[in-house]
Amino acid sequence: MRQEYNVKIVSKDMISPDTAYITINCPSIANNAKPGQFVNVSCSKFLKRPFGIASVNPKAGTFCIGVKVVGKGTTEIAAFEEGKEVTVLGPLGNGFDFDLDSKYILVSGGTGVFPINYAHEYLTSKNVKHIVCQGFRDKSQILMNDPSFILTTDAGDAGLKGNCCDGLNTISDEDLKDSTVVCVGPLPMMKAVGNWATSKGLKCYVSMEQRMACGIGICLVCICKVKAEAEGQEFNHVRCCKEGPVFPFEEVIW
Amino acid sequence: MKPLKVIKEEQTMDLLKAIDSQIAVKVGDVSLKSPIILASGTCNFGHELSEYYDLSILGGLSSKGLTIKPRVGNEGVRVAETAAGMLNSVGLQNPGVDYFIEHDLDYMNTLGTGVIINVAGHSFDDYIAMIEKLDPYKDKIDALEVNLSCPNVKSGCMSIGSDPVQVKTIVSELRKRTTLPLWIKLTPNVTDIKSVALAAQEGGADAVVMINTLLGMAIDIRTRRPILRNNTGGYSGPAVKPVALRMVSECAQVLNIPIIGCGGISTYEDVLEFIIAGASAVEIGTASLVHPTCPVDITKDLRKWCAENNTTLSELTGTLQLW
Repeated sequence: MRQEYNVKIVSKDMISPDTAYITINCPSIANNAKPGQFVNVSCSKFLKRPFGIASVNPKAGTFCIGVKVVGKGTTEIAAFEEGKEVTVLGPLGNGFDFDLDSKYILVSGGTGVFPINYAHEYLTSKNVKHIVCQGFRDKSQILMNDPSFILTTDAGDAGLKGNCCDGLNTISDEDLKDSTVVCVGPLPMMKAVGNWATSKGLKCYVSMEQRMACGIGICLVCICKVKAEAEGQEFNHVRCCKEGPVFPFEEVIW
Repeated sequence: MKPLKVIKEEQTMDLLKAIDSQIAVKVGDVSLKSPIILASGTCNFGHELSEYYDLSILGGLSSKGLTIKPRVGNEGVRVAETAAGMLNSVGLQNPGVDYFIEHDLDYMNTLGTGVIINVAGHSFDDYIAMIEKLDPYKDKIDALEVNLSCPNVKSGCMSIGSDPVQVKTIVSELRKRTTLPLWIKLTPNVTDIKSVALAAQEGGADAVVMINTLLGMAIDIRTRRPILRNNTGGYSGPAVKPVALRMVSECAQVLNIPIIGCGGISTYEDVLEFIIAGASAVEIGTASLVHPTCPVDITKDLRKWCAENNTTLSELTGTLQLW
């Protein structure tokens, strides 16, 4: 049976002025999570807040999340310190379905850097060939970067000047061949990357975000508009938390 | 020193699955092993929550509101958090009654709990067609919960349910077409809920369920637009409990049919308040969205309270003494 876990925060680091990186002790989540899945974390507000899992350490029984301050709930969670008790629900949603015999191009921006970090960690541990490309507005927004990544900034004050598609264009045809693209970031980024992948004949997966309540598929508020399978129907609403958050790019209605 | 008695989670669940006459209740002719029913729209058809606990400890589960045709529901954003609750504007997204009968009705019957089917519609004809679809499956259904109260659709539901004349007419038309228990789910968005509840009773309802959500709004001060794409939504959660209790209490004084209390319940004390106010059973909704397993804790606590106070919940119904 699945359950809510009453757990403790092991550590908290501010990795930018408005972003916290929090490690939580919860062996069950650490051992069962898949890249692309998320957890719901309690605060004093009415509803829990969803965060993509950024890393796991099954041996230590811990996992990490990145918390960017966007409202009152995330302000509170980003201020949590070591030892703070929280209630956590997870792992939730469907993660990325990685084929270990394939190769990948991981693209991220915004808070998408966190789930993509976990994907990078996972693919590295499985020796799966992959390239990571990050796109930010400017140097001050850079998070979870590694020198091996392709880095782009709109301002051009770090990495390549341009958006992440400009970064993706630097990948050789040989590396592009037969790769699958996975993108997590702001909606315009995912749309642009999806279109870029399509133009290259590559399959692309995106991770959709929507205001969420339960996180487990019972309230039907966190919908994603997707193409309908049934004839005569224009579109369908599916749950980001249950059918998603990962969707094939071409199924989403943008 | 005595070793500590360790009760494993499975043992607790086994205990909770055993019938406890102190918390068993009746809603008219419908016997429920517990007063706790999961409210429509907060449990879908049971699949998701059954991953969290054995739903057979419940008195019942009320299905997601069903309509004749599938509905994709409203555009997002569909949720806005408030200080002690939330607004939703899902808009009755559901797969349609035919799909439900084919795919989910049998599943609901495997859960070992009361099967309540919530039916909604846009017109009188829709409700009648729904009852005619479901009546042939009466062996698989414990009660029909008629949704005359959803605030998130343009026609039907709340617009019918806020007019006593239409409520009486529609309930009596449905009454002619089924012998299944008819529970009428009422909207609080009326001046006098007693008149609507009495109209349901006069139409032949077996029970009333109150309350559905309160119509509300939340505004984004930066964009000066409502947060919900539908502008308004249904307000639920602990904040609405006092309103629901007042309405249950008012109706209990004038009705002869049972009441199922609903609105902001998240603890066993909340359940007891509703029962004292006049409810025979209760529904838990928004609390499940926050803590999926809260009905397990509430069931444990209710059993303990009844044992300690040497009383049954049935005896407690309607024992409120007004000043």
